Amino acid sequence: MDFVLLSLVMLAIGIYGLLTKRRLLKVFISIELIATAATLNFIMLGANNLGISQAFMILAFSTDTAVSAVILALLVIVSKKYGTSDISEIVRTEVEVEEESEARQ
Amino acid sequence: MIPGVVELVSIGLVVSACLAIFIDEAIYSVAALAATFVLTSALYALSGAVYVAIFQFAVGIGTLSILFLSGEMLSEKPLNKTKPIKSIGVAVLGAILSIPAIFFSISAPSMVSSTTSLGDALWNYSAVDVVLQGLVILTVAIGIAIVLHENKKKSKKRSGQQ
Repeated sequence: MDFVLLSLVMLAIGIYGLLTKRRLLKVFISIELIATAATLNFIMLGANNLGISQAFMILAFSTDTAVSAVILALLVIVSKKYGTSDISEIVRTEVEVEEESEARQ
Repeated sequence: MIPGVVELVSIGLVVSACLAIFIDEAIYSVAALAATFVLTSALYALSGAVYVAIFQFAVGIGTLSILFLSGEMLSEKPLNKTKPIKSIGVAVLGAILSIPAIFFSISAPSMVSSTTSLGDALWNYSAVDVVLQGLVILTVAIGIAIVLHENKKKSKKRSGQQ
């Protein structure tokens, strides 16, 4: 059983989701998967130094959770503002607004 | 420990990660992410990293409860529901993807080992990091509260103008 390969597979799934999915929720889930893959790799590589690796990973978890909270807050604001969670639609709306303001000028 | 448990948990981990990405319905997708967190936590516990397992479990449950609450806000109902055959296909794909991790190996075992306890590592070696981490999290919490409050004010103004 090789945990480096396992975390590589998890990382690949996360990157695939990040690149192909257009919904904000899926993007968030992809970021969570990438973070999980990184943590899994660190923990399993530090299996011989469990005390130190666990201490660092507990610190990393805290940061990861804080980042997740910021991302989630921004996602909620964006989806409230545009009324959709589709990135393509959000970009389209933004481009239309810009074009309208340029036409007025 | 029963042989094969780690391998089974690893297969479940990859399968649930695939399902979390590929299922269209938000609630099922978040449920698959929950399974991913729980299985990761189980993997840590099986490897002897019990404290991290507990921490991962707690943090994962916190994140997921918020995701379940805001899931409706962040998702529109999909036009087509995910067909059961697609779900089964994704699960099979996940099982296939986890095969290399079970049967092959690319990493050499580490020769460095230490007997430092978690308490020592956390409070003697990286106490400053822990305190700074607390400050970072406090700052993030205040920042999020301010951003959401400003957003609430703006939306109230807009509704007042209309």
